[in-house]
Amino acid sequence: MTSQAKAKKVALISLLTVIAFMFSYIESLFPLPVPVPGIKVGIANIVVLIALYRFDFKTAFGLNMIRIVISGLLFSGVFGMLYSFSGGVLSILVMYLLYKTGKFSIVGISMAGGVMHNLGQLLTACLIMETPGLMVYFPVLLFSGIISGIIIGIISYSVERKLPHA
Amino acid sequence: MRINIKIRTGLKYFFMIKKADILLLILLVILGLFSSFIVFIGNTEGDTVRITVDGKLYGEYSLKSDREITVESGDHVNNITIKDGSVQMTYSSCRNQICVNHGSMHLTNDRIVCLPNRVIIEITGKGGLDDISG
Repeated sequence: MTSQAKAKKVALISLLTVIAFMFSYIESLFPLPVPVPGIKVGIANIVVLIALYRFDFKTAFGLNMIRIVISGLLFSGVFGMLYSFSGGVLSILVMYLLYKTGKFSIVGISMAGGVMHNLGQLLTACLIMETPGLMVYFPVLLFSGIISGIIIGIISYSVERKLPHA
Repeated sequence: MRINIKIRTGLKYFFMIKKADILLLILLVILGLFSSFIVFIGNTEGDTVRITVDGKLYGEYSLKSDREITVESGDHVNNITIKDGSVQMTYSSCRNQICVNHGSMHLTNDRIVCLPNRVIIEITGKGGLDDISG
């Protein structure tokens, strides 16, 4: 890779990180009026999916971690960061594995990611609050993960298709 | 012509979905229905309100006697109201107000959770403090 191509890649990835961070900031401004904690549309996942498709796992994972740490430090606090961290790691690992099989479309991958994100957060909440009874929220969070994952998958598909190839 | 293009893009979205996606969706929905069922059948009337703060038991109160409980830990403040056999988070100093939006509850498989203030309200079944004290 020439130094020019390298510089271009660094600039693109930084830009994607900033967009992902802006998305999670915008989302934190409008909390959904739901009675269950942890339900989000997850618009930052659009950027993660596109990074996974256009770059590689390392890039998608790295930019998601940077996004979580920055928004944790600025808005959601240490505990909020822990929830996003476990949800983010679990969802990106599963999304990468499904992507590697080549059998799933971006919508299916995003759906699995949404569900895994909610599951990771729920397990962390059970641990932090020392209340395994929180698992009663599992069905609600599962269905909300499916729905938001499908929405994000369709958006990511149409965005990815229209992006120019570098 | 325009309608034709719309139908074609619609079809493109449809054909982008793969067989594995549908299988995964069906699997997840079955898992969801199954777990909903388990939560639903275990959902019974309770009589004791149990408040947990920071993972530690804060207090247990009877669901039958109306009262207001104020939980203060650090800068966090939560007001919990027990009224007419139901419990509700009436005030919370937290940012997202999810716990306040939850409304009132009286069943054992419901939870009011305030993650930012780390307060959980649960309802436990028969055989609580009231039965022991007579």
